[in-house]
Amino acid sequence: MNFPFFTRGLALALALAGAPPASAGQYETIDYYVQQMIALAGVNEEAGVLTFREQMENLPRPEPGDAQQARPFNQHGQEQLAGGQLREALAAFRQAFIANPADPEIAGALGLTYLRLRRFKEAERLSVYALSLAPARSASWLTLGQVYGQQGDTRRATGAFANAHRFASNRPWIAEQLRQLATADPVDAIRIGALQALQSARTTTAQPAPSTSAPSQPAAPVRPAVNSSRATDDPGSAPVAASGLLGSLKQGLATLAKPTDPAAAGPTALAAPANDNPGQRIYRRSMPLTCLIVTFRDGKTANLGSGLLVSPDGLVITNDHVIDKAENLAVRCGDRESVARVRKRSKAPDLALLTTSLDSRESFVLNQTYSQNLIGLDVFVIGNPYGLESTFSTGVISGLREIDGVRYIQISAPISPGNSGGPVILRDGTVIGVATMGLKVGQNLNFAIAAADVIASPIFAPKQMQVRSASTP
Amino acid sequence: MRHAVYRMSALLLAAWIAAMPAALAQDSERNRYFVQQMIEMAATDNEQGVVSMQRMLEQNPRPAAPDPVAARAAFQRGLTLFGQEALDAALEAFQQASRDDPGDPDAANHAGLVYRKMGRFPEAEAALQQALALEPTRAVAWFQLAQVYGLKNDANRALGALANTYRFAQNQMRAEEILRNIAENEAADILRNAALQTLRLFHLPAEAVIVPPLPANPGGIVPMNSAPNPARTP
Repeated sequence: MNFPFFTRGLALALALAGAPPASAGQYETIDYYVQQMIALAGVNEEAGVLTFREQMENLPRPEPGDAQQARPFNQHGQEQLAGGQLREALAAFRQAFIANPADPEIAGALGLTYLRLRRFKEAERLSVYALSLAPARSASWLTLGQVYGQQGDTRRATGAFANAHRFASNRPWIAEQLRQLATADPVDAIRIGALQALQSARTTTAQPAPSTSAPSQPAAPVRPAVNSSRATDDPGSAPVAASGLLGSLKQGLATLAKPTDPAAAGPTALAAPANDNPGQRIYRRSMPLTCLIVTFRDGKTANLGSGLLVSPDGLVITNDHVIDKAENLAVRCGDRESVARVRKRSKAPDLALLTTSLDSRESFVLNQTYSQNLIGLDVFVIGNPYGLESTFSTGVISGLREIDGVRYIQISAPISPGNSGGPVILRDGTVIGVATMGLKVGQNLNFAIAAADVIASPIFAPKQMQVRSASTP
Repeated sequence: MRHAVYRMSALLLAAWIAAMPAALAQDSERNRYFVQQMIEMAATDNEQGVVSMQRMLEQNPRPAAPDPVAARAAFQRGLTLFGQEALDAALEAFQQASRDDPGDPDAANHAGLVYRKMGRFPEAEAALQQALALEPTRAVAWFQLAQVYGLKNDANRALGALANTYRFAQNQMRAEEILRNIAENEAADILRNAALQTLRLFHLPAEAVIVPPLPANPGGIVPMNSAPNPARTP
């Protein structure tokens, strides 16, 4: 199929079929076109967006006003807005707008001021109007995206943000604005919308920025339950509508601060220089295979933890307590994201196996060794403590413990809530355990379920997972 | 016989000429009625009614202009004088323009504006109604009229006239912003409330800035720093 032709045809059909009702008022008419551009941007239908943009540009223009009279008001408004004097800015921009309603910059500034005043209806109307004057005005799309986000409308926020990026004359600047929104905005729908727009624009995902919002409750390492060892296929984990779940994924992921990411440019960036020290080498290789797990309940982010990618077809192991009571799940491994389903669960050992869509050439290899020879070996832990993604720490294997019938590797590497389910890695890159719990008393007394017990557990999938047989590591 | 015909014709002509002011007055009353109907129907969001009355007014033949060139010159003079705030002279110029071209809504509208500035509200109302009878979709005249009604404390008519201002505005977003500005900042209660009601009539976002005053001391709350048992002074 000739997709560009198909897309153009679809856009044209939409354009021809879609026209505002004849009885529509002035605002309703321009809003119709703006909404079409948003909807098409949301599904990345560039041809359709451009078709409606052209139609908007052909709409009758309002009569030009008195630009000379408007200018000082506009200037004053800009100064007041920059100084945070919103009421004064509103008064000034209003006067400017009344003097010259044909200036998209003034209309856009008025819309932005309404947004800052949290008067979202007015902000929407002025931004839509500004876009009728200049359909490719990126700043107005950005404002409009925030307006929709504030109203909890993620879909429209995404479409508007996508258009902000599409029409930006300075794309790095707008991408940075979107990244800041994606990482630091306190409103879920704005963060998600900005993130999705960035992804649809094929830019890199949100860069690290100090998160102003507290991360979701990380899964604290817990003592595993002992009263059940039966692994179950979880029928309650059927996925909800993909878009809703994907939305939830973004919601959860966008809550978090992301580290400076050597993998941002893709897996090839992980190639280790020849003179790397072992920690660097392991970090570079393990980071894209280590996952952030986000769980959702009642439409909200409920929990987060860590996981490890263990098969080329996207199987992810984590702790059962991480996903406990979750209605939906999402994972991010390196820079790739997916919704997840629970394939198997086990209370003892405290493990769960998730299926994702993350195809991977590489995956972690489980090390079956469980012997006194392990004690004293260096270990490396990577995970997402308190939502701090891909936190890397080191220690040694301090001992071997069997607690309630489950074999654990005791390690001195620090772990915290949010590390649960993450890999404990040996110097050769194999996984020797799954970080699960720690003692609150004492220092650095932490425990990982031995990989040997993962292999022995019902969640193990022998055909898909790789195992290094027990030997001296 | 021919003389009789001439006499009859002369009599008819004389009768028609004699009756002309009365007919014009009747037309004026009729037009004023239609304008008032447009106001009342707009206030109750009766769009069809507004449009019907608008059509009635638009069917009126446009009065002939005895001297359109002089009218235009007088109008320009009026604008200049108005800019100089010479209101009496400006009014005279606009009235002259209206006499020279009674079908020009601009002249009537500006005469109404000057009357309003002078505080002569009945004359302002009449002039603006004349302008609207000539051009019932002239938003600026509706806006002037709304202000006149606001100043006359006629809330319902102020609302109707503002509603027509918005309805007939060439740029409704600009009109909407003007209404919001009035609704939030106008000192005169009637006009401010009328603007707020107009925004609500058209389901436009609006923020009421005036809230009913709270009782001075609800529930008898005592300031924290007041002495519980103030000592009596002798």
